[in-house]
Amino acid sequence: MRIDSAVNNPSLAQGRPSTARLMGYLLLAGLLMLLDQRGEFVPRIRAFAEQLVTPVYHVAEAPAEALRGISTYSRSYDTVVEQNEVLREQLLGQQGDMQRLAALQEENRRLRALLDATKGRQVTFRFAELVQVSLDPYSHQVLIDRGADDGVFAGQAVIDGLGVMGQVESVTGGQARVRLISDPEHAIPVQILRTGQRTVALGTGEAERLNLPNLPDQSDVREGDMLVSSGLGERFPAGFPVAEVTRVDRETGEAFMSVDARPLAALDRGLEVLLVQPGQGMTGPDTKSAVAAADPGAELAAESGAGTSVDDSDPAAETASAPMSDAEPQAEALQDPAAELPGEDQ
Amino acid sequence: MSRSNDSVLVLLIALVLAILLALLPLPVFLEPLRPYWVGLVLIYWSMEVPRALPLGAAFLIGLLLDVLTASLMGLHALSLLVLVYLVRRFRPRIRFFPPWQQALAVLALLVNDRIIMLWSMIILGEPVPTWQHWLSPLVGMALWPWIFLGLDHARLASRQSERN
Repeated sequence: MRIDSAVNNPSLAQGRPSTARLMGYLLLAGLLMLLDQRGEFVPRIRAFAEQLVTPVYHVAEAPAEALRGISTYSRSYDTVVEQNEVLREQLLGQQGDMQRLAALQEENRRLRALLDATKGRQVTFRFAELVQVSLDPYSHQVLIDRGADDGVFAGQAVIDGLGVMGQVESVTGGQARVRLISDPEHAIPVQILRTGQRTVALGTGEAERLNLPNLPDQSDVREGDMLVSSGLGERFPAGFPVAEVTRVDRETGEAFMSVDARPLAALDRGLEVLLVQPGQGMTGPDTKSAVAAADPGAELAAESGAGTSVDDSDPAAETASAPMSDAEPQAEALQDPAAELPGEDQ
Repeated sequence: MSRSNDSVLVLLIALVLAILLALLPLPVFLEPLRPYWVGLVLIYWSMEVPRALPLGAAFLIGLLLDVLTASLMGLHALSLLVLVYLVRRFRPRIRFFPPWQQALAVLALLVNDRIIMLWSMIILGEPVPTWQHWLSPLVGMALWPWIFLGLDHARLASRQSERN
């Protein structure tokens, strides 16, 4: 590429830069922005360029890493013991929950079989850490330290301990960029846990607010209602908590309500995330009768990073149906079998 | 020794540092205050160094910043192009301002840059930054004298060490 030739032409060095050249570059920049915004062509260049600049992130991350290392190292023994105790307690409590969950899953599976409803899909998790660099504050994206080499793929759902965070936007060898659910370009299909009503939650550009523009005026929604992923759209597995309704505004004369919700995931302060690995074991014969629920307690005891297996799996029945996780409330499955049909609009 | 070759190394180091500072994670409440490090370094470069920074280079640095910060491709390129162009354009005047006036000029440049960014974001329907982001130019202005003195000093030192 030809850049200004100040070397060949010393008079240019002192003088004003040419306006024509400025206009040319400005047009080019504008064109790039337009194409990038429309998602045409430029994302591919960006993906390639990201491969090249990955080392920069490693350097940029160093100070923050060092700081974190120091703070971890200098933590006193007592604090660690105390923390260990708390974690142990938590683990015990959660193991108890998991045991109950196993029973519930089994029950749920039988009820689903009775209703002839869609089957759950196996979901496993993979641990990843956020890369400690700050991206453009307007873009609502984060970097994680797992990439294509670890099996991460574009479109993969990302959650943290509290709720859904977003989805993988692009991957390089060892890193991936995740678009958060708060990004204005992001939409996630959700379901109101209490009523089973489905809608879509849009990002607003604020980390603490999602917007639900598609709820008709007469829908039953209250402040404090929990929104879980509905599994429609096949990106996000069903049943993961997404947000909590914070504001319901019924304006008379409007066809739709104005509803806001607060994302549950720690979008702007988390350090660790989980990548949702979609169903494995999709092949193989129909095991409808087999009682194949894995023992979740044993799974939990496995090393972190190996991933925890939740959900029993039935490899069959995936034709055009939304992936349903058994984390979904059972009561709803009983009361409202119609809600099992994908593609309906409320 | 030739003056045309001077201090390019110093400036490149400053540029790399500025890019790393742009990526440095900050607490959420400090994030909007982050000064436009790369912009400040390029202002200095265009103002003080006899050999101009070509517009093409500003464009490429901007693209690099866009890729690194995952912002809209071309946004920083546009911003840095305008910044460098304006500094070159008014260089004879800005250069001989007294320091406080120069800092004000830098503020004006940075605010103008914010306006351009905001404008392009609105046109393209991107999310609009919160009002706190207007504080960043003020931080940039407050830092300007130190960046100016620091880089001047570093360039002088490197030139002297070369002579010896």
